[in-house]
Order: sequence, then C-alpha cells, then structure tokens
Amino acid sequence: MSNILLKLRNLKVIFPANQGIVRAVEGIDIDIAKGECVALVGESGCGKSVTSLAIMRLLNTPPALIDVKEINLDGEDISKYSETKMQTVRGKQISMIFQDAMTALNPVMTVGKQIDEVYLKHNNISKQEARKQTIEALRLVGIPEPESRAKAFPHQLSGGLRQRVLIAMAFACMPKLIIADEPTTALDVTIQAQVLNVLSQMQRSHNVSLLLITHDLSVVAHTADLVYVMYAGKIVEKARVEDLFKKPHHPYTEGLLGSIPRLSDSKKHFIQIPDSVPHPMFKPSGCYFHPRCKYVTDKCKELMPPLVKIDKDREIRCFYPLNVDKEGKL
Amino acid sequence: MSDNLPIVKIENLSVNFPAKGGLPFAKKKYIQAVTDVSLEIHKGETFGIVGESGCGKSTLANAMIGMVRPSLGKVTFKDKDLFSLKRIEFKEVRRDMQMIFQDPFSSLNPRFSVYQIISEPMYIRGGFTKKEMENRVLELLKLVGLDEKDLYRYPSDFSGGQKQRIGIARAISLNPDLLICDEPVSALDVSVHAQILNLLIDLQEKLNLTYVFISHNLAVVKNVCDRILVMYLGKVMESGSTKTIYKNPLHPYTNALLSAILDLDIKREKTILKGDIPSPIDPPKGCRFWQRCPYAMRGCKDIEAPLIEVEPNHFVACHKISGFTEEQIAQELDRVLVHHV
Repeated sequence: MSNILLKLRNLKVIFPANQGIVRAVEGIDIDIAKGECVALVGESGCGKSVTSLAIMRLLNTPPALIDVKEINLDGEDISKYSETKMQTVRGKQISMIFQDAMTALNPVMTVGKQIDEVYLKHNNISKQEARKQTIEALRLVGIPEPESRAKAFPHQLSGGLRQRVLIAMAFACMPKLIIADEPTTALDVTIQAQVLNVLSQMQRSHNVSLLLITHDLSVVAHTADLVYVMYAGKIVEKARVEDLFKKPHHPYTEGLLGSIPRLSDSKKHFIQIPDSVPHPMFKPSGCYFHPRCKYVTDKCKELMPPLVKIDKDREIRCFYPLNVDKEGKL
Repeated sequence: MSDNLPIVKIENLSVNFPAKGGLPFAKKKYIQAVTDVSLEIHKGETFGIVGESGCGKSTLANAMIGMVRPSLGKVTFKDKDLFSLKRIEFKEVRRDMQMIFQDPFSSLNPRFSVYQIISEPMYIRGGFTKKEMENRVLELLKLVGLDEKDLYRYPSDFSGGQKQRIGIARAISLNPDLLICDEPVSALDVSVHAQILNLLIDLQEKLNLTYVFISHNLAVVKNVCDRILVMYLGKVMESGSTKTIYKNPLHPYTNALLSAILDLDIKREKTILKGDIPSPIDPPKGCRFWQRCPYAMRGCKDIEAPLIEVEPNHFVACHKISGFTEEQIAQELDRVLVHHV
C-alpha cells in the first residue's frame, strides 16, 4: 500500500465567469506509484494543466474554486497545508517543469543563480556549496561546460538547453514527485528526442515519480508507464501504456490513436474525429463525448457513464467499451 | 497525378538577411537563411519542405511567392521571372499563388466578420458584384465544411480548427494554382489535425491545386507529399520522391530526423543527435551538418558536399554517401589549400 506516492481524490476545480461557470476539472482521482511515470493526456482545454496546478496548490483562489477530498503525498495530506508550509513542499518534495522555458526562467538572472536559489532555500548551505551542487546538477542533465553555462542568462541558451536547465532545477533537491507540463511541446523534433531522453533517464536513475502532462500520445508511448486519458474535465480511460495502445476501450482514445499519423502506414487519408472539443462552459448532456462519438446511442445522450474499474490499473468511462472479446468480457 | 509541367522553378536561390547589432564600423554580418537552392515543382503535385526551425523552410516559401527578395538566384512562376516583373504584373501573377499560415489565431483579422475575411481577396481584385461575392463566399464556406449561418460571425467565435478552415477558404477564394501551406496544423489540437489534412487532400483533388507543404512532422509529410526536400541550415541535404526517401533515407540528417519522430510504434532503434543547430550567421564552412553528424569524417569540416544524384530523382549532399573515401577528401582538401596559398 505504501507504494503509492501521490493519492489525489475527487479533485474539482471551477472558475466562475460572467456568462456562467467553467467546470475545468470534475472530480478526478489519480494515483502515482513510487518511481513510476504517469501520463495525463488530453487536448487543450480538457483541464490537465489545471489539475497539475491544483496538485502544486498554485491556482489563485479566487478566481478558481477548488474542492478536493485529499491530496495525499507520501502519507501526508497536503491539501490542508498553510501557504508557508506549502512553500517547504514545493521544490523539496514536488517540483514542476513548465512548458515554455523562456517564460519560466527569470530573464535578468543567470541560470546558475536561479538554481542556487533552490538549494539555498531548502538545504541550509553556503553559497559556494550551492554553486558546486548547481554545476553538478547541470552536468547531470547533459549540459556541456556547466561551469560557464551557469553564468549565462536564459536568452543566451538555446531552447533545448533552457529546457535542460529547467529539468536540472526540478531535480535539484531530488523531490519525490516531478510534474512536467508539456515539457517538449515548444521544441524541435531532434531536440525533443534529446530532452525526453534526459528526462526519463533522470527519472529512472533517481527513482523519482513523474507526472507527465501532454497532448501528444507519441511522447506518452516512449516515456510513460501508466496513462490517464482526460476529456472535458473527466478521466475517460486509465490503462497501462501497452494495454492502451494495443486495446483502447474508449472511443475517444481510439480516435486519438487513429488520428496520429504514423510512419508505418501508407494510406492517403487520415482517420479523423469529427467536430471539436466542447466549450468548457457549455458541455453537452450525458456523456461529454457523445456529439463526436460514432458509436453513440440514446442512452449516451442522457446519462453520464460511470468510471468503471475493470482490471488492476484499468478503468473506463463508457457504456459500450470497444475491443471486447467474444464472451463480452473486457 | 503530376504531369511534367514545372509551375515553379527556382534556380540557385540564396536569401541573406543583414544581422542586427554588431559594432558600428564592423563588417556587416549576414544571416544566411537559404543558400543555393534549386528546385522544380510540377503542376498538381504536393511538394514537401522538411526541416527544423531556423533551417530556412519558411524563407524559401516566402521567396517562392515573392514576399522576400532573394540575394541571388531566380524564381520562375509559370514561365515568368518573379523579380523582374513590374509591380502591376507582379500583382497579377501573385493572384495565382496563395498561402495558408501556421497560426490561425493571428492570421485572421479579429474585427472582420467571416464574410469580410473571405471576400477580401475578391474585393481587392475588383470586378465582382456584391451578389457574386456573397454567392462565392457561401460556396467556399460549404467547400471547407463550415455552415452558412457562420457568415457574419467573428473569428473569436470559432475554435482553432474552424479558424484554419476560414484561412483555407480565404486562400482558395481566387482559384489559385499554387497553395503554400506553412505548417498548417502545428498550432491545432491533435484530434483536429486529421480533419484539416483530409480537407486539404480533398480540396487538392477537387480544385486541381499544387501544394507546397512545409512541416517538421515527417509522419504527416509522408502521407501528404509526393516529393520532399530536406533542409538543414539553409541548404538542401536530400531531395527526392517521398517513397524513395522513406524507403531509403541516405543522408545522416534525414535518418536522424526520421528516427527522432516519436510515434506509436514503441520499440524502435533511435539515433539521437548531439548538440543544437548552429547559428545561421556563421554557418560551418564545409558540410553544414558535420558538427552533429555521427559519421563525420576528416574532410567534412572543410569541404562542402555537392548535391549528387545517387539514383534517378534522388539527390543527396553527403561525402559518405556520394562515395568519397576519407583519403580522397583529404587529397581534395590539400588541393584546395595549395590553391589558396
């Protein structure tokens, strides 16, 4: 049981607006085991970034309204922590890698100094000692000449190097959990491959848990162990990565997998999901996916299917799951 | 699908931009965005330009439609030299080439209604009555899969995919021959990618368009393009038909690009390149790729690899592939050095 590092229970986030209420996240549960990489996949506007910010307790309230039963990090419920106490958790126990390294780093501070800050804040050490550790951290993520790069400003580094600096910063105090919010979306393909490699190597070698937030299923295929698929604020499918890619049960997952062009296929047309994601203020009745689903029935239009646990690490929110075998078993 | 009429012909095109900054009397530096590119695009085909950001693919496309003046070289569109035309003639020719932009959020005027956006090219061209324009806009909306009642709504009312559809409708409103798609899907959601790409494929069949398709996603390019050009730091590394390049990628950079694509086929051998793209202000003297090339030899650093036809219609610029041995390059190097002294 103690294998679970993060236990998130019934997280709800809403944003009241003038025209109505935006229900960004509607009651999701996430479990992250120690040393595991868990991916949260979904399109823009499905609430995945809000979830990560809520776990870090970085959402501004107001405007956001958060209701959560439990955010249990290694036996401690951090949802009740005060802001001062939370500051000792951030960076030390949970840290975050943001999408756009240029805006996440301070442009008027050298990157070395920014990483020093993490050490100075959490470990009671001298500045010289902190700098020594910073250089070691930069070396670990594969930055060439870390001594001179530590004195560089963010704008003097390339996109890939900046992202590595962020990774170094996140791993600085060897936290238990790292949340990476679209860590490679802003990068070129060849650099993306480098950065992902560094990230998963660091994660495996230091036995840290990683929550990877992305919209790109191909990134998931290469790094994650367990996948949560999110649609319009709800988890629609949870599965181990191999199972998900081999046998998607939810029509949305199937559509997502199909719409990604693969090198191995040769057909001219792409499989597409019709329409687009519903506006978070005007979600449809019943199952949120029904207007885009090709297997839709009348039942789907009226009732929201429950998230059913069908196996260990396998949950699905659909009345008529796909890829069932002959006996009707999943 | 393609008959052999070149619609666009580019000969030895180079584009340099003056670099910002530098000391007042220092020698002016230039960003070499595109260097010595020649190509032909045939009618009815889809021509892909592939490369990482900063490799000059957008600059090449901009030069192709006359939006950027090249430093050297010639662009011919339908047998007319684009940069020797008079202004009025140029405007005439430009009607037949249109562009779809990457970011639909910033390429549509937020204060124009859909009708105004799509009819603007017709308005500028002139010679249409109001009724004709309205009918044409409705026809275009139907063609790109939008609804009649969207006519007087504003861009902010639409999702990313729908905005891109409006951009496409605007681009095809004057029946162009050549359509340049500059990363048409990379700003959109994954589930919408397929919709837009399918739309582009259908339109090509219906309207007999020629596409120049710019992308960094090789998996998309594979399914859409007939021929592709792989660029790195402003130079052509490899070009040929999509089939041959994907079956038999020869240049180390093409190989690296192909293996860097993350796709869903989990188990695959991967070569991951070291380092970053060098700055185009002072590109490497020899082969532009040598610093990151896993097979770099002694001469690669100093001698540029020429673009050689290794099999029919498959061109590669690499010393290793074109069959030079290390000794031959070294000899060549000595010759060049002696020459200089």
